[in-house]
Amino acid sequence: MRSRRGVLGEGARIVWRRQRVLWWAFAVNLLLALLGTIPTAAALGKILDRSLASGALVDRFDVPTFAELAMSPARPFHVASAALFPLLFFAFMLFFEGGVLTVYRADRKFTTAEFFEACGRFFWRFFRLLILFLIAIVPVLIFNRVTKSWSDRLAVDSPNALLGFWVQVVTTLIALLLLMAVRLWFDMAQARIVVEDERAVRKALWPALKLTLRRFPWLFGMYFEISLAAWAGLVASFWVWVKWVRPEWVGVTFLLTQGFLLFWLGTRFWQRASEIVWYLRHAAPPSNNIP
Amino acid sequence: MTEVRLGGTRGTGTDAGWDPKHFGAIEVLSFAVSGMGELTKQIQFVQPDDGNTDDHTVFQVRLPKPVLPGEHVEFRIRFHDHLPEVVARTGYKRDFFIVAQWFPKVGVWWHDGWNCHQFHSTSEFFADFGTYVVRVTVPANYVLGATGDVTAIQTNPNGTKTVTFQGEDIHDFSWTASPDFHLIEDSWQGSAGEVKIHLLMSPGHLRQAGRYLQSLKGTLAMFDRWYGPYPYDRITLVDPPNGVGEAGGMEYPTLITGGSTWWEPKGLRDIEIVTEHEFGHQYWYGMVATNEFEEAWMDEGINSYTEAKIMDALYGKGKSAIDFLGATASDADFLRVEYLLLPDTDPMTHYAYRFMNSQAYGGITYGKTATVLLTLEGLIGEETMRRAMQTYFLRYRFTHPTGEDFLKTIEEVSGRDLRWYFDQAVYGTNILDYEILDLRSDRADWYERYPPLTKQGETLYKDTVVVHRKGDFVFPVEVEMRFDDGTGVREQWDGRDRWTRFTYLKKAKLLSAEVDPAHKVRLDKDLFNNSLTAETDRRATRKLSTYWLFVWQFAAQLLAWAV
Ligand SMILES: [Zn+2]
Repeated sequence: MRSRRGVLGEGARIVWRRQRVLWWAFAVNLLLALLGTIPTAAALGKILDRSLASGALVDRFDVPTFAELAMSPARPFHVASAALFPLLFFAFMLFFEGGVLTVYRADRKFTTAEFFEACGRFFWRFFRLLILFLIAIVPVLIFNRVTKSWSDRLAVDSPNALLGFWVQVVTTLIALLLLMAVRLWFDMAQARIVVEDERAVRKALWPALKLTLRRFPWLFGMYFEISLAAWAGLVASFWVWVKWVRPEWVGVTFLLTQGFLLFWLGTRFWQRASEIVWYLRHAAPPSNNIP
Repeated sequence: MTEVRLGGTRGTGTDAGWDPKHFGAIEVLSFAVSGMGELTKQIQFVQPDDGNTDDHTVFQVRLPKPVLPGEHVEFRIRFHDHLPEVVARTGYKRDFFIVAQWFPKVGVWWHDGWNCHQFHSTSEFFADFGTYVVRVTVPANYVLGATGDVTAIQTNPNGTKTVTFQGEDIHDFSWTASPDFHLIEDSWQGSAGEVKIHLLMSPGHLRQAGRYLQSLKGTLAMFDRWYGPYPYDRITLVDPPNGVGEAGGMEYPTLITGGSTWWEPKGLRDIEIVTEHEFGHQYWYGMVATNEFEEAWMDEGINSYTEAKIMDALYGKGKSAIDFLGATASDADFLRVEYLLLPDTDPMTHYAYRFMNSQAYGGITYGKTATVLLTLEGLIGEETMRRAMQTYFLRYRFTHPTGEDFLKTIEEVSGRDLRWYFDQAVYGTNILDYEILDLRSDRADWYERYPPLTKQGETLYKDTVVVHRKGDFVFPVEVEMRFDDGTGVREQWDGRDRWTRFTYLKKAKLLSAEVDPAHKVRLDKDLFNNSLTAETDRRATRKLSTYWLFVWQFAAQLLAWAV
C-alpha cells in the first residue's frame, strides 16, 4: 500500500511538473466546446436578449420557460453542430496522447517540435489500439445491455419496488469497473508502446495483459482511487453549485464548472502518469529506466 | 385520467407494440328481460360512430314490447370478463387487480335518444346515474377497495370472503384488490359531513403516504370552499404497485388511483398533482358527468383548470409542480406547454375520437382548455370566474350538461357577452400571438442642423412602439411602456387591426414595451416576443450558454476516455 501511495504521489508530481500538456488539453477542450456553443448562444440571444420573459431564466431556472424556449420555432439549441465538437476533441486526444505519455516518461521539458514529433510517432499505433479497445469493450457493453433489461424487467415485474433499482445500481457499477479494468489494460499497452517503442500493437497487448493481471488488485486499486477522487470532485462541485452559487451568478458558475472540468481531466492524466511511473519501476528493462 | 406525466399510457390509436397479454373483453353470455324472456339471440352489434362492422363494443336489443312511461323493466345479463394484464387503467398484474370497465354498461338516454358510443382508444366515458350493489368474492387475505361503501362481509368456508359494496348517485363502479395493500385510514370534515379516507398503499411506496394525504385533504378543502360540497361519505385512493403505472392516474366514482415511486423527491410534485387531478374528477366527471366522448374538454379540461388553480393555492404560485434544486415550474405553465406542442390541429369541441392523434387530443383537451380558462379568468376576474364555476357545479351536478350550458353560465355570472372569445378559443383553432415589433426613441429635434447636446431629462424624444398581432386570434390587450425617467404608461388595444402604433413626445427614452404586463393572457403562443427592451440584457443567454458549454465539454472528456 505504501508503494502505491508512492506511485500515486510521483504520478501527481509529474502531472504537476509537466502541467503544460494538461493546460493544452484543457484549452482545446474549452475552445472546441466554445466553437460548438456559438450557434446556440447566437440563437438564444435573438430570443432572450431583448425580452423581459428571459428574467425567469436569470434569477431561477423556470422549467416551463426553458421548455417553451427549446420548443420555439427557431429551435435555438443546435445539438448537431455542438455534438460535432466532442468528436473533434476525441480525435485530438488520440493524436495528443502519444506526446503526453512521452513527456511523462521522460519527465523533462520538451520543445514543441519534439512534442509533436512524439504525437505523430505514436498516432497510428494508438489508432490501431483504439480499434482493438472498442472490440474489447463489446462484452462489457453486452453485459450492461443484458443486465439493464434484466433490471428493467425486475423494476416492473418484481413486487419489491427497490429490487430493480438496486440490481441496476450494482450491475452498472460492475460494468463501470469492468470498463476501468479494460482501460487499465490498454493504458498499460500504451505505456509499453511508448516506453519500449513497441511497433507491433497487437503484440504489445499480451504482455500488457499479463503485466496487468499479475499485479491486478494493486493496479486496479490505483486507478480506482484516482477515479474516486474524480467522482468526489464531481459531487463536491455540484454540491457547492447548488448550495452556494446563486442562480444569477453566471460568472461563478462558469469558473466552477471550468475548474471542475480541469480537475476531471487532470485525474485522467494522473492515471496515465501513475501507470507510466509504475511501468518504469516494475516492468521496463533497466536501459529504459533512464530516459 | 392523468396523461403525459405518466408517460403517455393511453393507446396510440394504432396497434403498435400490441401484446396479446393486453387483450381484454367482456363476453355477454345471456340476456333476459323479466316478463319478456330470454333475448340473447336478439343481440345485434351496432357501430354508431364509424360503421365498422368488426367492432363489437356496442349492441342493441329490441324488446318485444315497448316500455311505457311509468313502467319499469328488469334485465338479467350474464357475462364473462376477460381481464387484460393491466392496460389503459384496467386489468391485473401479479396479484394486483384494478377491475374497471368490466361489465356491460347501459347507454344514456340523453337529448331524446340513446347516446352510446363505440370503444375508442382516445376517449373516456359517459354513463347514467344509478345505485350499484356489487358482491365481490376474493381470497380471504386480499385487501379490497371499491366504489361505494361496504355493507356486508361474509367469510366463506373455502378460504374466500364475499364483500358487498353499495353506492348511490354514481355512474360507474370499479374495484381493486391486492394481498399487499397497506390500508391507511383517515378522515376529513367537510361542509356536507365527514368523509372517510381510505388510502391503499403499495409496499415500497409507504414513505409517500403523507404526501398523498396532504394533497387529497387540501384538494377536498379547496373544492369544498370554491365550488361546492363533496356529498359522498368516502373517498378511496389507490397507490398502484411497482410496474403497474398504467393503473395509475385514473378516476372512478369515490375511487381514484394515484401514482408514486419510492424515490420521488418532495420538490417534484407528481404525486400531489395526480392526486389533485383524480380527486377533481369526482366533481366534473363524477357529479357533473358530462359526455366525454363528445365533449372531453368539459371533464379533463375543466378539471385541468381547477388542478392548476388548486395546486397554486396549495403549493405556491410559480412552483406548484417543481421546486427542486433551484428549478421551478408551476402546474399551470406545464399545462400551457402541453398546449404549445400542437396548438391548432383541432378545436376543443371535437369528439374525443376525432382528434388528429392522441397527442393532439391530450394537448388540446387538457392543456389548451386549462389555458383557455386561465386566460378567461384574466379577462373576467378570478373571483367572478370562481363564482361562475361554483354556479355551474351547483346548478348542473347530476344532470349531464353540455358545453353550451357551461359557457352560458359563465356569461350569465360575469354579465358579459363572451361569445367572441368562445368562438375563437373554444370552437376555433386560431392562434393567439402578439409581439412588440418595434421600439425606438428618436430625438424630436432631429431636423435641426446643430441640435443641442443630449441631456437626460431635458432632451425631447419621439418614442414609438409598434405592436403586431401575429396570430389570427383577436383579443384585447394591455400594453405597458416604461421610460428611463422612471415613469410608465399602460395602453389598451382592442387588437382588431393587424398592428397599432403608440407614440409619445417625452423628455425620456423608452426602456421597454410589453404586451400583457400582468401575464394574464396565457393563451399567447409565444411569450418571449411579448416584450422588447431598448438595451440588451445577455444574462439569460450567458447562463444557458454556460450550461450548454459545460455539457459538451464534459461529453467530450467522457468520449476521450476511450483513447
Ligand atoms: Zn383526468
